[in-house]
Formats: sequence, C-alpha cells, structure tokens
Amino acid sequence: MSDFAASHGLLEFIVDRINVGVFIVDQNLEVKLWNKFMAANSGVNEQQVVGKKLFDCFPDLPQRWFAKKVSSVFMLKSFAFTSWEQRPYLFPFRHNRPVTGGMEFMCQDLTLMPIKGEDGEVEKVCIVLFDVTDTAIYRSMHQAAMKKLEMVSRVDGLTQLFNRSHWQSRLSEEFSRAGRYQAPLTLIMFDLDHFKSVNDTHGHLGGDAVLVQVAELIRSALRDSDIAGRYGGEEFGIILPSTPMDGAKVVAERLRASIESSPVPFEKIQIPVTASLGIAQFDAGIKDVEEFIAHADAALYDAKERGRNRVVIHERA
Amino acid sequence: MKESLALSEDQRDCLQEVVNVAMGQAGDSLARFLEVFINLSVPRIRLVARDELNRELEAMVGGPSTRVSGVTQGFYQMDNGRGIRGEAIVVFTDSSFKELADLLAYDGEVGADAEKELLLDVTNILNGACLHGIGVQMEAELGFSPPTILGQHVRVSGLLENQKVNWDHALLVEISYTLEDRSFSCTMFLLMPGESIVVVKAALDRLLEEL
Repeated sequence: MSDFAASHGLLEFIVDRINVGVFIVDQNLEVKLWNKFMAANSGVNEQQVVGKKLFDCFPDLPQRWFAKKVSSVFMLKSFAFTSWEQRPYLFPFRHNRPVTGGMEFMCQDLTLMPIKGEDGEVEKVCIVLFDVTDTAIYRSMHQAAMKKLEMVSRVDGLTQLFNRSHWQSRLSEEFSRAGRYQAPLTLIMFDLDHFKSVNDTHGHLGGDAVLVQVAELIRSALRDSDIAGRYGGEEFGIILPSTPMDGAKVVAERLRASIESSPVPFEKIQIPVTASLGIAQFDAGIKDVEEFIAHADAALYDAKERGRNRVVIHERA
Repeated sequence: MKESLALSEDQRDCLQEVVNVAMGQAGDSLARFLEVFINLSVPRIRLVARDELNRELEAMVGGPSTRVSGVTQGFYQMDNGRGIRGEAIVVFTDSSFKELADLLAYDGEVGADAEKELLLDVTNILNGACLHGIGVQMEAELGFSPPTILGQHVRVSGLLENQKVNWDHALLVEISYTLEDRSFSCTMFLLMPGESIVVVKAALDRLLEEL
C-alpha cells in the first residue's frame, strides 16, 4: 500500500462491507467488532453485540470448543484454523443456495488471527468467517460420484450381484478371518443346468432374463451377512460367514427349490430352470482360497454327475 | 544445482540453533496449552532430492508399510513475496487420539470427524508455534495457509503419492515431539524447496554476521 495510502475510513468501509464475516473478541470473549456480514446473517446487529459477551448473545454456540480455539491463539500467539469438513459451521447461518444446495446451514471455514499489542502479547483475536457452502456442495457431489464409481466397479451390470473380482476379494477376507478366529465358513458354488440350451432355444435375451431372475431369487434366499457374486457366465458363488455346514445346507436347498419352482416368464412362455449346487466347508487344512473354491466346484461337478437339480456336499478325501 | 543449495557447515549449525530455539519455544507453548510435558528430539537438517523424500519419510517412521496420518500446511513470508516458502508436514504414527482429544477439550466420542479436527489442530499448533519462532529469529514474518489432510491411516509410502511435486531439491528439517506419559508422538517435517533455500541461506548468513 505504498502508492495508495488507504485512509482509515476506507479500510473500515472494506472490513465492514466485505462479503466475509469479520469479528473481534477479547480474552473474555467480549465482542469488539462485528461487521455487516455477521450482522446480516445472524440477525444481530453491531449495537446489540459489541461490548457484550459472545456466548450471552449466542448461547447455542459450541462454547467449550470455540473458547478453546480462541484461547489457543492467545497462548500460542499464532493463527488457528477450523474447517467445515470437521465442524460444518460455528453459527447456524442460512446460506445463499437454499433451493439447490441440499445443506441446512452455511458451511464455514474460520481463520483466527492474533492481534498483538506493542509488548508482543495478544490483546484480541480477529475471526474471519468464510462461506464455503459451494465447496461443500461440490465435495458432496464428488463423493456421490466416487461412490457410484465404486459401485460400478464392484457390481455385475446384468445381475446386480457382486462381480467376480470383488466377490473373490471378499472371499479372501472371509477365508483369512476364518483362519484367524476359527470361525465356521461355508461356500456354495452353483451353476444353472443346461443353460447353453436356454441360450440356444430362447436367444441371449432369454438367457439374460433367466440370469436376472435367478439373481433376484439369490437375493431373497440370503441373509444380510451372506455374500453372493456372479462367478462366471451362469455360475454363481455364495459366501456364508459364521455358518456351519448345517446352515449352508438349508440355504442351498432353499435356493435350489425356489429356482426350480420359479420358471422364468419370457415372451409369453415360461422357461423352466434348475440349478446344481456344491457346498464346501472351511477347515484349517485348506491351504488357500483357490483350494477352497476347488472343493465347492468338485461338489458342484458331483451334483451334475448325479443328475443335476440337487445339492451336494464336498467330502474330504 | 545441488552444490549451490548445499548449506555450509556454519549455515547448518546456525539453522540448527535457530530451530532449537524455536522448538523450545514451541514446546513450551504447547506444554502450557496441553498441560503436559513435551519431549523434543534434536532436529535433523539435510538437503533431499525429490525422489529421496519418500524414502526419508519411510525411514523416519519405521518402514514403508507403517500406517500413518499426515497433514500439510503451507507457510510463506508475508513481508517478502520472494521470501521463505515451504510446507510443514506433520506425520502421526500409532496415535492414540482419545487421550489427545481429552487434552484438547473435545466433547464426546472421537469419531472420524473429530479425529480429523484433532489432526488439523495439533498440526496447526505445532507449526504455528515452531515456525513463528523460526521466523522471528530470521526476521521474517510468516503467514500460514489452512492445514490440509494428506491421508488418514494410510501406508506412509502412499502419503505423498498423489501430490504434485515441482522441485528438485528441498531443505528438510525433521523434529519429533512426544508427550510425556502419553502414548502419543508425531514428527514434523519442514520442507523448503528450491529458491527458498537460497533465501534461507542468505538469512542465515546475515545472522552469522551479527554474531
């Protein structure tokens, strides 16, 4: 400001009218300055608040938190900052995106600046309050988009079950958990019978309709903790954490029966569907996930051999 | 390039002394603020190349797979646009945040949000106190940008993964803080890249002349 020496009045005007909140408190949290932005948003004007304790005028503020922040500036003689990401707002102000914002109150970032006297001690603290509602809105849009992306990368588009890679990583997690805690864990692998002829007879749309309905039946047969995925074309896998063989048998048999009794409506006809299921149970002798899957697959193969539309349990050799 | 940036022995000793004094002041303010005793390490000062930085960080916290949380805060000289400029990164390992939350008078449970706020607060307090002390001695008035979280509970090797870096060498000052009788510790890294080193060296020379 060497060429243009701003007058005291001009600076006062700027502080008062600038579109950010500016207020000053002393060590007792008594308000010394309160600009227009603060007055307009709080509905409490300068005359009503200057010379009074901040918490007397605004009893609903997070007092302990804010007092500690201010006292840190007095003690450490340096700036302090707060972010909307941790505490969305200090004052419950309305914001300027009431229609499209989706946020209840104005999101606020605060900067607390020490005002020092000639002796170098902090006499007052100036608080600058920024409206960061727009930033917060963009952030939440970004997060929603990321969440959707994450979903897309985990889920099989046709059946809305987990895709193979996500399902396998879940199986790995459950496999190592079962090893650590000696908790029971069972795995069902199953395959639709004669699916190739469904495709040949009714076309791929018919095949797709079958897969979609089977996925729906899987979802209704499962409990919350069970994890189902589409393993291959017409092959599915279900992980049953904390479930011993008896429980897995019940789930598998229920699923088999519901698939058999629910022919898939497609272009005015009903396509009959059955499935063959293999179950394997975790034990400490299984060396890795691949071996675990191979056990369930072997039982599934057995089920096919024995005439399909049935549940077979893998027996250890 | 590196030769011209390297600190002479005198400059290094001088900076060491400056940082020592600043840390002492910071430790003192902090101790009063948190009402606990704070142990400080002797600061380590050296010049690092860009591709060494990750290895340096990893070595200091005990290997690349150590889980850490990190916060960065920019600082700059307010009275000189071409003055000191850098980032202070605070890395927290094995942190029991509950105790710290208690010390800093946080209400209620320490959830994910409260933990973030704690990280930001502690970083700001450490940086503010320490850098202020350094600035005063070097006759530079320092300003700060708000602290930003680099990552929470991530492998230290990934902490700076997505950060764009446009410097070749930086001056690294490393300071460790531990609280007595508390299971909390953190390490502060002051990084001043490229041109800033030249400014720091000039300031150190001025200080040395005054002695």
